[in-house]
Amino acid sequence: MHWRTRSRLMTALLGTLTVGFLLYQWLPVFTLGLLSFSGPTGGTTFPMNGVSLHWYRELIEASIMNDFKPPFGRSVMLAAACSVVTCVLAVASAQAMRGRFRGHNLFFYLLLLGIMAPGLLVGFGVAIMGRLMGIEPAWNTTAFFVQVSWTLPFGFLVMLSIFNRFDSRLEEAALTLGANRLTTFRRITLPIVLPGVIGAALFGFTLSYDEFPRTMFTSGADMTLPLAVMAQLDRELTPELYAIGTATTLLSLVAILACTLILVSLRRTARPGS
Amino acid sequence: MSTIRPRSLPAYLLALPAGLWMFGAVVMPALLILWVSLWGGTAFGPGNPITFANYERFFANASYRGLIANTFLHTLMLMAITGVMGYGIAYFLVMKVTSRAWRTALFLAFIIPFWTSALIRAIAWVPFLGVNGVINQALMGLGLTERPIEIFLYSRTGISMAQVSLYTLMASGPVVYMLAQIPPSLREAAMTLKAPPGVVFRRVIFPLTLPGVVIGQVLVFLSVMADFATVQWIGGNKIALLPNLILNFYEGAQLRAAAVVSVVLMACMLVGTFIAMRVVDIRKLGT
Repeated sequence: MHWRTRSRLMTALLGTLTVGFLLYQWLPVFTLGLLSFSGPTGGTTFPMNGVSLHWYRELIEASIMNDFKPPFGRSVMLAAACSVVTCVLAVASAQAMRGRFRGHNLFFYLLLLGIMAPGLLVGFGVAIMGRLMGIEPAWNTTAFFVQVSWTLPFGFLVMLSIFNRFDSRLEEAALTLGANRLTTFRRITLPIVLPGVIGAALFGFTLSYDEFPRTMFTSGADMTLPLAVMAQLDRELTPELYAIGTATTLLSLVAILACTLILVSLRRTARPGS
Repeated sequence: MSTIRPRSLPAYLLALPAGLWMFGAVVMPALLILWVSLWGGTAFGPGNPITFANYERFFANASYRGLIANTFLHTLMLMAITGVMGYGIAYFLVMKVTSRAWRTALFLAFIIPFWTSALIRAIAWVPFLGVNGVINQALMGLGLTERPIEIFLYSRTGISMAQVSLYTLMASGPVVYMLAQIPPSLREAAMTLKAPPGVVFRRVIFPLTLPGVVIGQVLVFLSVMADFATVQWIGGNKIALLPNLILNFYEGAQLRAAAVVSVVLMACMLVGTFIAMRVVDIRKLGT
């Protein structure tokens, strides 16, 4: 066989693999979205028995037993808190990395450990730590503490890559003109990297909002949304869960879209000399 | 010159809060797990004697030893599947798709589900895999089988199917990165010197992407080894791997046993990562 034919065959094969995998990856998500609109008598699989907003209405008018509104409120508050702390600490630690202090390599690996370490073990360890120190686990104390160790490293990596692209001649100009370091950071550096900071914040928000392996052991009696969904899943799978899943996925998609747009616009403006 | 002086006091002060937080929330807990796994006695508190009895009890049980082997086998299988598929997809996206817009679109379609909730994605597989699920309905609709196949939900097959969709991106991402770094002139040079495409791939392209392959494999290895969630929800309570055992012991208030399994799992992950790092040096990647 001629190599050109073989190369074309290879392209077709790999193309089929790619498109096939994308379908494989997306079909369940689309099915979930479709089934969340099934009729009041619809089950957890096809046929849908009509099209309705019944399961979304159920979510809003839920009884006390399976009310997802309080967990949702907690998750949003927790995610907002994590996102703020992530922002501040990520900017601080990325700026510290620019100062090439002694042990900055170790510091980098320490932060990376937060991504690599399995959440189940981290959550378990923090639960033990809380018990040894006599701290009652709660979603807004221990769970918050452990979740930041998950969101912060991602924010840190985002800020590192932003600072890598940063044109430090702008800072030099301000310093040469007599501004002190703090003023320069506040008036020059921060406004330029601000879109990246917002990206890190959104990132932190979605990561915290979806987190469950760490939170499982550390949230106490008041559950976050993923934990409430898990508890309901243990009892029974209902189309209500599909409705939550669809709403959550849409929320994540909006956040990702915002992130992407910010990073794209940043890339356009930050290119030095253009 | 920049807003921060090298090795100045502010650099240390800025790094301190994040460093302390990560140390307290990740390193300390890991050390505590190690400590608790060595506790003798029955009380919960620092006064317990130190002993290896918990480990002896764990390794004396043949079914637990089997579980370790099972977890490794399952993980290796997933590494193989996601490795091959991930490489194929990465190669297609970088080398075969010539239109920039198409490449971005396909890449986004590939990467976006990764940022949505893993919990929701696992739930989304349930209506697919069940006895009345989409796969069975499709198979029967096409006349391929007469009765629904029961092997999908609550089985290894179903778990693997869901995990492949969850983790192929991890195997693929680093390869995409490495492939994109290869200057086209290298390939052209080899082709000019009359190397057939197969040889170009084997002798030029693949060795250059090897670090990406290894890092992707490490990511998949770490994720699958620690993935209790997919196993629990899609496997029902019929199937358990090492991380599920931690959960079971914890719920049964057997903290020492849970700690022992945690340490074993951590050790397995460290050994796996260490072996991978012997193959490539991760620190050379950035240069």
